[in-house]
Amino acid sequence: MKLSIYVVANTPLHRLHPVVKVVGIFCFFVAAFTAGSPIQSLPLAAVVGALLWLGGALANVWRFRWFLALVFFMTFLVWSLFFHSEAPWFAWGPVRLGYDGVRFALATACRLTTFFAVGLLFLSTTRVEEFADALGMIGVPAKLGFVMTLAFRLVPAFVDAALSVVQAQRCRGFDFDRGNWLERVRHYLPVIVPVFIGALRRADLMAMALEARGFQLPGPRTSYRTYAWGWGDAIALVGSVMLAGTWLLWARFAGGN
Amino acid sequence: MYLRGVSFTYAGGALPALRGVDLVVRRGEMVVVMGASRAGKSTLVKVLNRTIPSFQPGSLQGEIWLLGQRCEQETVADFAGRIGLVAQDFEAQLFSTSVECEVAFALEQFGVSPPEMRQRVHAALRSVGLEGFEERDPATLSGGEKQRLAIAAMLALEPELLVLDEPTTDLDPLGKEEVLAVLAGLRREGRTLVVVEHETIAAEMADRVVFLAEGRVLADMPAQAALRSPEWFRCCAVRPPDLAVLAHGLGWAEPVRSVEQAAARVRERLMPVQKDDRAAGQQQGEASGHDVLLVAEKLSLRYEAHAPPALANVSLTIRTGEFLALLGHNGSGKTTLAKCLNGLLRPSDGEVRWKGVPILSIPLAERAVAVGYVFQNPDHQIFADRVWDEVAFGPRNLGLSEQAVAERVRQALGAVGLLERCDDDPFWLTKGERQRLAVASLLALEPQVLILDEPTTGLDYNEQRQTMELICRLHRQGMTVIMITHTAWLVAEYAERVVLLHRGELLFDGPTHELFARDDLMNAARFRVPDIVRLGQRCGVRVRSVEELVRMVGRRSEDR
Ligand SMILES: Nc1ncnc2c1ncn2[C@@H]1O[C@H](COP(=O)(O)OP(=O)(O)OP(=O)(O)O)[C@@H](O)[C@H]1O
Ligand SMILES: [Mg+2]
Repeated sequence: MKLSIYVVANTPLHRLHPVVKVVGIFCFFVAAFTAGSPIQSLPLAAVVGALLWLGGALANVWRFRWFLALVFFMTFLVWSLFFHSEAPWFAWGPVRLGYDGVRFALATACRLTTFFAVGLLFLSTTRVEEFADALGMIGVPAKLGFVMTLAFRLVPAFVDAALSVVQAQRCRGFDFDRGNWLERVRHYLPVIVPVFIGALRRADLMAMALEARGFQLPGPRTSYRTYAWGWGDAIALVGSVMLAGTWLLWARFAGGN
Repeated sequence: MYLRGVSFTYAGGALPALRGVDLVVRRGEMVVVMGASRAGKSTLVKVLNRTIPSFQPGSLQGEIWLLGQRCEQETVADFAGRIGLVAQDFEAQLFSTSVECEVAFALEQFGVSPPEMRQRVHAALRSVGLEGFEERDPATLSGGEKQRLAIAAMLALEPELLVLDEPTTDLDPLGKEEVLAVLAGLRREGRTLVVVEHETIAAEMADRVVFLAEGRVLADMPAQAALRSPEWFRCCAVRPPDLAVLAHGLGWAEPVRSVEQAAARVRERLMPVQKDDRAAGQQQGEASGHDVLLVAEKLSLRYEAHAPPALANVSLTIRTGEFLALLGHNGSGKTTLAKCLNGLLRPSDGEVRWKGVPILSIPLAERAVAVGYVFQNPDHQIFADRVWDEVAFGPRNLGLSEQAVAERVRQALGAVGLLERCDDDPFWLTKGERQRLAVASLLALEPQVLILDEPTTGLDYNEQRQTMELICRLHRQGMTVIMITHTAWLVAEYAERVVLLHRGELLFDGPTHELFARDDLMNAARFRVPDIVRLGQRCGVRVRSVEELVRMVGRRSEDR
């Protein structure tokens, strides 16, 4: 099974300079967050969708379809029930279901889902190492950059460890998919403990491997990956800054919610 | 490099792991360290690469000089780039998202210029046979490929002193020879190597062999002398070279250098060869006529759409009571096939049937008693924090009573000799013990077919023998065994039938001796026929082990 999100490919998006990718994705995040209504989120989602297609990452959307759906529906559900609606259709304790609540919930759900889609776009087209390089180029110290990107390295390792425990237990007759969905989720919980302990044990060895390979040296460092600025970078940079600007203005003048 | 009177006791350990070790290694020398498990090999390695004392608490005494420098408080970091290390647990050393980034990482830290870096990365990958893997995610490599990567990452750094802890356990036999030859070749550039190995092939390339036992240096001798005296290997739980044992067993005074030379001598003594000896290796016969248990039909599997298939059109039939070895080069698809056979992986094409029923449609609890699978890396399958619970997990899933569970656990732990450790945390055990624990946890389920994925890697010779005896005992009791392995003598002595995979395709399926007679296939599999079998072939007899040949020759001499 493939665990990392990165798609090994050579699309125009993959070829972008990593600093452009980081700045661009930041702009998209800004846009995703300022979008105050579904009307504002949907065109953005369309743009992100097109880019996902361009980056060859639609398979990843499919892989994470349940996650994205869960984010959408859970957000919608929680906000529509607990938003403090002015004129509720229905009120019961803290639950106040009303028009403005539903509206706000829908906006938030769209906003959050687009947000995750943007993240997916970034991870599909950017290697963790590129991300670290970009951080280095915008002035983040190399060690800090590594630590900041560590999470992205460790998550697939965690998932990998978890999957192998799951396999080991299935192999010995433990059926994870028995019972209703709540029970299924409960079956997976005990897997977390050995994975976590295993990760702690690994961390020590990894620290040693890092030291032995000169991680603590003061520098200067070089990079195996060479990057050149191209026209594509300029276009992408201008494009994403304009996109962020457009959404900021739109949200400001059209008003949110 | 120079050690005098070095002792080390792990914090919390009762006995010292090293006791007064003296060792001198000169620049440009290659020293192989051998010893039974728990002899202190890994501890010595850790002292040499400064993991002790910087990462490992404990008390260290003695005088240590590394690369002409007296060491007191120096840490791993102080020697970064000058001392290269490959740890026993090589998987935990990898943290990058692509093979080439992994190798380049260290070079980036040292500020090597990009063109030179590129050239060094490619050279390192080439020398371990990983060209073409540059863009792959290390997490998706096969066991042997990961080990090659860990070695490449260290080679690219071009350290002055290389300290390697069993760096070739998961490699295929030819790969092992190639990697060791690359390492041995580094001496010409004035690099120094200390290599812990369990196999005599490493000694053949080394200058000196150091035998370690109970934390002490038992002997330190030139490699050639060591190779002629099998006793030293025996007492350090290393399988001695076939020819040396044969020379010893037949009481030859002068050493034999090649299989041909030995064959000539054996032939005289074996002279009129009779028919019955020719068939000696076939006593156990083929298992045809027994019930069909497991059928794999035209299995194909692709991990990724554009990658070459990990399995291509593999068909296989397994009958009750067989003992089958699954061979193939690193990345040939052995693990993948094994996981398909017990339903852990779903093939993209084709089907696995258990007694006629598709295995994926069988409920898990029943599947577990049908086909058991012992993982390649025991640490991937051990999850409990107590040995007992680890083994009890399976039987509990079968819905047995607590009493029946306890009975099964006791039996399984007894069979692997771990009963008295039942309250320990599995991670306190040695690699060999963990390997056996992994076997025990499946034995407790009493499966009809047991698949073992390289059950003897990283074990010393005595432990390998013990493991094999255990497996044979189970086999005699009626268990069907499928064993994946890279160890030639195991195949020669134990397997009746071999299945050979090559780039996901099935190249051969038949009796062991037939495969061993096919040089073309052996090369494709990157396998080496044991010397003793080749010797037998030269003399026209079918032998599985040195002891068998010695007995045969002995009998013949008496007859005369
Ligand atoms: N999760 C995965 N994703 C992508 N490719 C994989 C994955 N696992 C294995 N492969 C590839 O499939 C091929 C077969 O792998 P497999 O693990 O079956 O090899 P193996 O014969 O067991 O090798 P080894 O002797 O090194 O253990 C290899 O080329 C490997 O790189
Ligand atoms: Mg394997």
